[in-house]
Amino acid sequence: MSLVEARGLTKIFRRPEKDPGLRGSLKHLVQRRFKDFRAVDGIDLSIEAGESVAYVGPNGAGKSTTIKLLTGILVPTAGTVRVAGAEPHTDRMVNARNIGVLFGQRTQLWWDLPVRESLALLRDMYDLSPAFYKQRLERLDEVLGLADLLPVVARKLSLGQRMRADLAAALLHQPKIVYLDEPTIGLDISVKDRVRQFLRELRQDGTTLMLTTHDLGDIEDVCERIVIIDEGRKIFDGPLAQMKDRFARVRRMHLQLAEPTPVEKLAERLPDVEVIAGDSPTEVTVTFDRFTHTAGQIIAGVLDVVEVGELHLDEPAIEDVVRKVYAGELLR
Amino acid sequence: MRRTLRIYRRSLGAHLRAVLEYEADFWVLIVAGLLFQVLNLIFLSAVFAHVPALNGWSYPEAVLLAGTYGFVNGLGPLFFEGTWRLAGKINHGELDYPLTRPAPVLVQVVSGGIGLHGVGDLIGGGAMIGWGLAHSDIDWSPARIGGGLLLLASSATILLSLIVVGNAASFWVGGNHPVFAMTLIRTGDMAKYPLSIYGVAVRATFTVLVPYAFISFFPASWLLGKESAWIGLLTPLVALYCVYLARLVFRLGLRRYDSAGH
Repeated sequence: MSLVEARGLTKIFRRPEKDPGLRGSLKHLVQRRFKDFRAVDGIDLSIEAGESVAYVGPNGAGKSTTIKLLTGILVPTAGTVRVAGAEPHTDRMVNARNIGVLFGQRTQLWWDLPVRESLALLRDMYDLSPAFYKQRLERLDEVLGLADLLPVVARKLSLGQRMRADLAAALLHQPKIVYLDEPTIGLDISVKDRVRQFLRELRQDGTTLMLTTHDLGDIEDVCERIVIIDEGRKIFDGPLAQMKDRFARVRRMHLQLAEPTPVEKLAERLPDVEVIAGDSPTEVTVTFDRFTHTAGQIIAGVLDVVEVGELHLDEPAIEDVVRKVYAGELLR
Repeated sequence: MRRTLRIYRRSLGAHLRAVLEYEADFWVLIVAGLLFQVLNLIFLSAVFAHVPALNGWSYPEAVLLAGTYGFVNGLGPLFFEGTWRLAGKINHGELDYPLTRPAPVLVQVVSGGIGLHGVGDLIGGGAMIGWGLAHSDIDWSPARIGGGLLLLASSATILLSLIVVGNAASFWVGGNHPVFAMTLIRTGDMAKYPLSIYGVAVRATFTVLVPYAFISFFPASWLLGKESAWIGLLTPLVALYCVYLARLVFRLGLRRYDSAGH
């Protein structure tokens, strides 16, 4: 059995339906109307031990809600979840020991307490032995540079410091599986790199990772599998490379021409592809579907019209795929 | 259970240390708490300057009653202050993390803060109890001392449970502020005067519906040997019922919790 098993996972929120203004609010008091909103709609998901999964989708797709269902924070409306054999929302305490959770937008550190005190409270809750606690702190200090942060009160931490301290808090008890909801949100490049480096090491240690993010660098750096959801439904689940094969059909060729050439002339020679003029009269960009055209065909076509100086080719980027998903262009 | 208590103690201790960092706050809060009890006393004195007794309650007895209520009320800020932040936590989805930790959510919530004005309440209320006892006619015996302490513990349990029930209402009421709990607990202020001065409806409400009468009036009645003093002995049972109720309401509320955002 997989470490994480979700079948037909569904969460419906009930939202009050109010007319605008005070009038609407008063009316709602007397005549209560609600509208159902399906945040997560029948998701099946299996994650094996040691996998690292990117969970991707546009804002409001149901990513965080899925995480909250898997962690036992929310009770599912329908469907089943098992994490390491336990049902998260009923065996909350058992499940809690297996998992580590980080919501990048929010801290789990106690606002008024120094980081050290927060970690000590977590140590007590997870029943960590003094020796184990010490060893974990040393390890986390190595990779996250924790020592400087320990005496600082949580509310005085910068965002980057807070995220490092929060990662330490989520991983203190060495959980089997770690859920990270936007772990690099708002971080500068150097902290982001550090966090990604840390996540890669975590993966090498055999920890199972599931992370939601809008930062595609996170995915390419850390994950080998990607799950894309939209409007609460899963629309892709598979290896990163396969996703590119399947969805990233568009390649882009940038050409430096020997002499100025009107775009129309090239377009005439190359039907079915998009030819766009570049910054100067000798530059053009050709966008084509790599399943209907090869790069060779495109070059041959251009050479029929004009000599080519330089050229380079943009490989299909994961950005393109995800952008399409976000724009609702992929077939469901 | 022992583990839970340890987590509670450690969490409260950490917050106490944090609060003690601000020395000026510490003294201001204690004086504020004390002042509140002194105001109570001034009000009682003003009333008793005109009447010798309130429905059979002498001045020292009334002071004892108000002192008990004040003392028990001081325990709330000291030991259950975090409960008052529950409404905000629900509203902002801040129960997410507590729900992913292997410790009871209620314990994490309750121990999430400390209000030092409780110390002033304890000192002021304690002094009033002491003075009231010294000037009242009480038939002391070991049983009466033991009983008195048991009733005091029970009455504290009742008030703390009611604080939990009131604040847990936020799971249903929504909103950022514990309006319901404020109303519930402030209404209880009536219980610092002898219940017998109120009409039947108020008495019935405070005995059966929300058992404020068991926080100070019935226990004090038993100690002082007033009429129907035996009802005071029911206080521990009422306390057990309140604990049960608080846990039930909180658990049901937690099932309704739907975080924030999605």
